[in-house]
Amino acid sequence: MPDKPISDNDPVVSKSLAPHYVVAMLVLMATLFWALWDEDFGQRPWKAFQHEWKDRYTVFLKGAHSQSSDSEKGVEGSSEYQSLKQTFDQANQNAAPRFREINEKLRDLGAKILALQNVFTDRRAYVNALTYEIETDTSASSKQSKQKDLDKYKQEIAAVELPDGSKQNYNYPRLEEAYNQLKDERTKLSAELGEIIKPVNAQKAKLDAYVSERMVNLTPSQLAGLQDKTEAWSPKILQINVPDANIVDRCESCHMGTREPVKLTAAAMSVKGKKPDAYARAFTSHPEPDLLTIHDVEKFGCSPCHQGNGRATTSVEKAHGTYEHWLWPLFPRGNAEAGCQTCHAADMVVVANDVGWTISEGKDLFRQRGCVGCHRYEGYDKEPEDLLSVAQQIKQIEQEKKDNLKQSAYLMKQADTAESNEEANRLNDRAVALKVTNSKLDLRVVQLDRTTKSLLQDMKKVGPNLKEIRLKLNKNWIPVWLKKPSDFRATTKMPNFRLNDDQVKAISAYLWQSALADSLPKRKPGSAAHGKELFETRGCLACHSLGEGDRTQGGTFAANLTRVGEKDNYDYLVRWVHNARERTRPYCLLEKKDIGPEDYAKKGLPYVFDLDHTRCPNDGHELQVQNMTVMPSLRLSPEDAQDVASYLLTLKKQEPSVYADAPFMDDPNLKEEGKKWVRHFGCAGCHEISGLEDEGRIGTELTFEGSKPIERLDFALLTEVAQRGGREPIADADDLSRLPEGPAKSPWYDGKGFFEHKLAEPNIWDQGKIKPETEKLRMPNLHLTKEQIRALVTFLMGSQESPLPASYQYRPLDYRRDIQEGWWVVRKYNCMGCHQLIPGQKTSLMAMTRYQGADGQEQLPPKLLTEGARVDPQWMLNFLTDPSLSDVGRFAAAGGKDTNRNGVRPYLQVHMPTFSLSENELGKLVRFFQALSRQPFPYIPEQVPALTAKETDMARSLFSSPAAPCLKCHATGDPAHDRTATAPNFLQAKGRLKADWVERWIIDPQAISPGTSMPSGLFKRQNDRWVFSGPTPPSFREYDRDQTKLLVDYILQLTPEEQRRVGASTGHARALGGIAGSGFSTVSDAAGHPPR
Amino acid sequence: MKTKTRVTIWGLSAFLGLVLLAGCGKKEATEEQPATTAPAAAPAATPIDPATAATVSGSVKFDGAAPKPAKIDMSQDSNCQGSNTAENVIVSDGHLANVFVYVKEGLGTRAFDVPKDAVTLSQSGCKYHPHVIGVMAGQTIKIVNGDPTTHNIHPTPKDNREWNESQAPQAAPLEKTFAREELMLPVKCNQHPWMRMFVNVVKSPFYAVTGPDGKFEIKGLPPGDYTIAFVHEKLGEQTQKVTLAAKDSKTVDATFKPGT
Repeated sequence: MPDKPISDNDPVVSKSLAPHYVVAMLVLMATLFWALWDEDFGQRPWKAFQHEWKDRYTVFLKGAHSQSSDSEKGVEGSSEYQSLKQTFDQANQNAAPRFREINEKLRDLGAKILALQNVFTDRRAYVNALTYEIETDTSASSKQSKQKDLDKYKQEIAAVELPDGSKQNYNYPRLEEAYNQLKDERTKLSAELGEIIKPVNAQKAKLDAYVSERMVNLTPSQLAGLQDKTEAWSPKILQINVPDANIVDRCESCHMGTREPVKLTAAAMSVKGKKPDAYARAFTSHPEPDLLTIHDVEKFGCSPCHQGNGRATTSVEKAHGTYEHWLWPLFPRGNAEAGCQTCHAADMVVVANDVGWTISEGKDLFRQRGCVGCHRYEGYDKEPEDLLSVAQQIKQIEQEKKDNLKQSAYLMKQADTAESNEEANRLNDRAVALKVTNSKLDLRVVQLDRTTKSLLQDMKKVGPNLKEIRLKLNKNWIPVWLKKPSDFRATTKMPNFRLNDDQVKAISAYLWQSALADSLPKRKPGSAAHGKELFETRGCLACHSLGEGDRTQGGTFAANLTRVGEKDNYDYLVRWVHNARERTRPYCLLEKKDIGPEDYAKKGLPYVFDLDHTRCPNDGHELQVQNMTVMPSLRLSPEDAQDVASYLLTLKKQEPSVYADAPFMDDPNLKEEGKKWVRHFGCAGCHEISGLEDEGRIGTELTFEGSKPIERLDFALLTEVAQRGGREPIADADDLSRLPEGPAKSPWYDGKGFFEHKLAEPNIWDQGKIKPETEKLRMPNLHLTKEQIRALVTFLMGSQESPLPASYQYRPLDYRRDIQEGWWVVRKYNCMGCHQLIPGQKTSLMAMTRYQGADGQEQLPPKLLTEGARVDPQWMLNFLTDPSLSDVGRFAAAGGKDTNRNGVRPYLQVHMPTFSLSENELGKLVRFFQALSRQPFPYIPEQVPALTAKETDMARSLFSSPAAPCLKCHATGDPAHDRTATAPNFLQAKGRLKADWVERWIIDPQAISPGTSMPSGLFKRQNDRWVFSGPTPPSFREYDRDQTKLLVDYILQLTPEEQRRVGASTGHARALGGIAGSGFSTVSDAAGHPPR
Repeated sequence: MKTKTRVTIWGLSAFLGLVLLAGCGKKEATEEQPATTAPAAAPAATPIDPATAATVSGSVKFDGAAPKPAKIDMSQDSNCQGSNTAENVIVSDGHLANVFVYVKEGLGTRAFDVPKDAVTLSQSGCKYHPHVIGVMAGQTIKIVNGDPTTHNIHPTPKDNREWNESQAPQAAPLEKTFAREELMLPVKCNQHPWMRMFVNVVKSPFYAVTGPDGKFEIKGLPPGDYTIAFVHEKLGEQTQKVTLAAKDSKTVDATFKPGT
């Protein structure tokens, strides 16, 4: 091959690949670095959190440490601490000389013992060895000789060099004796040392306790511990793993402050001088540490309450589950309490100290606003379902009875022809057993019948009974109301159905024509002025309200009555005010008709139906004898009821006659059309309506609404709008103002966005759709406020089918179950409108102008903070059955004579109404109050010890002491005195109050019912017992029991005579004028002759 | 990944990187964060120069017919003796007593020492004396019972803690404080319902209560612009602005009308 000159443009010569290699290498290097970075940081954003946490928390702890030192110094500067310190120093000083002395002696002893021990243990070992040899030797002679050796060895003298240098000689027995003596001495001295140091240690413990009790936050040493821990921290994944519940939550890998023992706020965790950033917000401690105490984090983790993807660690979005592939995104801040519903679905009130919880508000609204009328929700409004199940049970039992009867007949027949007597007896026994079983079943049916009665009584409707509208309403007002109820009454529960005029006409016509045509007795007009006073003072305003806008007074539980005079008929209103439960005609569920006098007449029965006469004359079945309203009877006399009704009719903005005539309501042609629409809109869900008593719910079930995947929530034509965000589809200004988060700015294609928009404007998904009238969305506008929608949405979001095991559901079987069940009843009847059941909870009455100020507060109904511990449950049962405490029968309100008595506190103008509770609900309430106070059930009352004559005298001297003028405030039953009384009559204590509670009460009433008129400080603690604060007679000198007990026993045995005598002697019962001031002399000689 | 492996890989790559990109490395300066979360100590009292201190005084009038004091029925307790007229609106010669006058605005964030001396509230003749008092938040109120009957002292505050304690005749005085500012905080005795007085808890020592002659005087104010408020238990609150120069002595009067 000839050599060819290399051409100049040969790429091998002229071109270099170096740049390519460099570029490739750089790219590869960059990739490598990126891969490494991604591995260590990119995929591990939590590391950055942890580094940041370490820095910021260290800074925080430094600050906290110096603060804590300061406050520790502050505590140590107090005079109490100083005096404790002095006592401690004194004790220390007292103990010191002897302490030193003993310690010295112990030291010397120790050295001596050691010196002896060295020699003694050697010699003892030798002695033991020899003894063993003697024991094991077989020949007697050798044993003897060895014994001699041993004795000789024992007598040998050994020299011991003592610590002070001297030498002492001991033979073995003396050495042993000396050694043991020294050891005994040491034991004795050690014991003495312990005794001496004991008071010093006790004082030291007191001193430490004083500091730690007064330090609000951690002590400096505790903080130093935290500082060390933080310093030594190296980044790692933190996770809570609960295999049983399939919980793996790594949330704390970023949220490191959640469980720290100090309160961390976003501001405290910010970089100095900067606004709180994402890190600062992530590092805050849990806002409700109490909740974490109740729900052990190691068992519950985070995601069961908060949702989100607990396993994810690669980004904030993934961890919070706010991406499209995760079905359970983190509950947003405003709806965080939705998580409670996951396990607390069976609760009406979620937490024991529930004040202002959004979720509880949502649960309550769901019932109060009648959502249950259209939407089934497990646990709500379950009486109809329970009724069915009871009927089913009765049927089964009847069948069982029949079978048993047949079987026992068969057995007896067999017995008659049995081969042996034994066999016959065996068969007969079985037959007898079956008969007894049938008796039990019979009694079970009786119980079930009573349950049926209870359930019928418990069944309530959200809206009024529309069968009675012909008696009740201004006819011409009805169509105006139906058109838009919130125009007439802004706060009404009745929602706006967006009815067109034809629908309004048809519905009015049906309701009017299907209503009962009975007539009511004519009532005389009453005094509106007196009615006004009654209305404002009896407690009506605990549920009802008056006035509009800012001037509204009263509760939100029932209707605002500002315009009631425009719509109601007087005669009906009188009946309603007197007893709202009174029905025009009873309804028979079996025959599905309203029973009238004609039905009763057929059987020759009087036309009487009430809670004592509930059987249908035709078939003997239970009737609905009450109006299905929760409104109780206020035990007004018929005259007072007339006065109140007269007053209510003065409440109007315009005359009832102004409403335009509505002749179409009598048009029979509209009736069928009307029925169609009434059924279409599900009116019977909330109202009793003729012909539609058995209508089912028209809405979708919502028990697990929060679990619905987003695809199953129909955003209709707005899907894209919601996904993209930006444009807010709600145009109506009123509806727009209902959105809890305001008009949409960011995408809202999620459960929250759906529910909020739906509740703000329920027909929103009809936008742009072309639909016939019957297919349009039926859900009415409930004209809710922002806060109400937030509460309801929180409730709905939490309404999920929980993936957690059943044991996580809060369904307790002990006393807590009684509490759980009780809240449903308490909320149902709005007990909290008048009574405070939880400290800090506001009642409707408390907010009213009338009850402001010291005198107003005295007129408030009693607080029930410790009711179960206060009263005997049997008494409570009687009281709840008939709060008037009149003895004229169970339902005094319905016709008893003594209807005006006002139970325990006649001095209050507010009266506890008669709720006519069913046996079922009475039981629940009594158990509820007992359980709230953790009282045993059934209650076995303690025997009140009978007082001796001397003790009675002593107790009387306390009871009538000028330093505790009991009868000044407590009622005595004497009208002149009771005019100024502000506390219950002592005669009611017996059988009502529990002795232990009374004792606690007289010691510190403010701690039981804050703000009560009863003052504290009547008794003081002296020598470990309670003694009277005021002067006591000499007879008390030898008395060494609690003086409070004496007084309690006396009060619980008080007789009317005794009370009268004491009242007279102390001059507090003025009306007893004649004998007032005659002093104690009357006590002895008037025994048995009450001075009146 | 084990820590060791990770350290090795990083070390190796760092070495490579150093060879290749020597000089391109940039050392990040880490800034030590100073521990500056100093404890928020209570602001110390700012001393007022007595040489510049000014005074506000004046009188409060009642424009209208003096209401006839209502009679109280004290017959329920024979130990209650003494004047039995209510103390709601006390007017003599058109002067209104028991008006609480205080500097409502203008002191800024200035803090003041709480006086060590207690304010005494005595109960005698089943009445409180005085009927209206002013105290600084945290200042001790010493309550004395000079009556031969038992009283109970029951304040019903809005923003402070409520309490209710019994005080027997000759019992030791009660010493109490209120921690938060509150005007016309009612105090009552449940056993003698007519007994009523008002405590005014304020944050500064610049307050006074008008006497029977309707006069008041507030001394020792530093120069500045102030809002002076007049508060009456029944007639409500009025305010007036006043500007005080050093050593000024100004008069501010107020007039209440019935039912305002």
